[in-house]
Amino acid sequence: MKRKDFYQLVAPLSEKLYRHAYTLIPDDLQAEQLVVDGLNAYLLRERKKILLKEVNLEDKKEVTLQRRYHFKGILRNICDIGIRRSVHFLEQMKDMRPHGYHSFYSLEPKVRFTMSLRFDAKFTVEEIEDIIQLPRYEVIEKLHNGRFLLATDLNPGSSL
Amino acid sequence: MMLEKNFDDKTFEKKIIPYLDGSLSIEETSEFQAFISTHPEFEKKIKAKELEIENFKKMIPAAVISKETLESIQTEMRVSIFNLLSEEPKSFFDHWRIKWEDWRSR
Repeated sequence: MKRKDFYQLVAPLSEKLYRHAYTLIPDDLQAEQLVVDGLNAYLLRERKKILLKEVNLEDKKEVTLQRRYHFKGILRNICDIGIRRSVHFLEQMKDMRPHGYHSFYSLEPKVRFTMSLRFDAKFTVEEIEDIIQLPRYEVIEKLHNGRFLLATDLNPGSSL
Repeated sequence: MMLEKNFDDKTFEKKIIPYLDGSLSIEETSEFQAFISTHPEFEKKIKAKELEIENFKKMIPAAVISKETLESIQTEMRVSIFNLLSEEPKSFFDHWRIKWEDWRSR
């Protein structure tokens, strides 16, 4: 695959990548930086595979499949870097929390990221396992905890 | 018989959220779908849970990206791709194509 083809594949993902990065660090500049760092880490790790893989940009089905594959790969690196980074920003994040999303940003970073992968990007549990590199039972546990804590905030006494 | 029915209802009620989540196994999903098809009254409970989930989905932020940030990210992504993915030239023309792309991406 040529570099310009790879760019054409991943450029439309920038907005979605930013949204997921923002769930980890709710700051414009930091989220932008996280997307770029996640992409760089992915390129360094998968350089050979990317260059060896052929893509036919005329074939919409193939483009969709390859785009999703690279989307997951970049998200895996964003998750890896972002979770470590969000720990350093813990203190500052108390002031960064966007208005109206206080409950969401009180959840631990991995739970936030899992929730956003499931409910925003609509990834399956199996895909999330692969992205956040956790076994199935832990993904389910994170989804359950996130839902429970948000629902409790939304409606105290909820059974979710 | 009654006891058995209650047991079924409760068991499947607990599975509504995992079913909507997609976290049930293939066998459990087909078992659950079979149960719904034979218990139409169960649909109401599913709808109620769906509504609850919709409400808390609103608590997850969907960050809106500004045009400037989007352009900035795409420029940075382009630079990273052209810097970190170095292609091996396959021919003389390929060599110059790569050089030309490198120059344009600056």
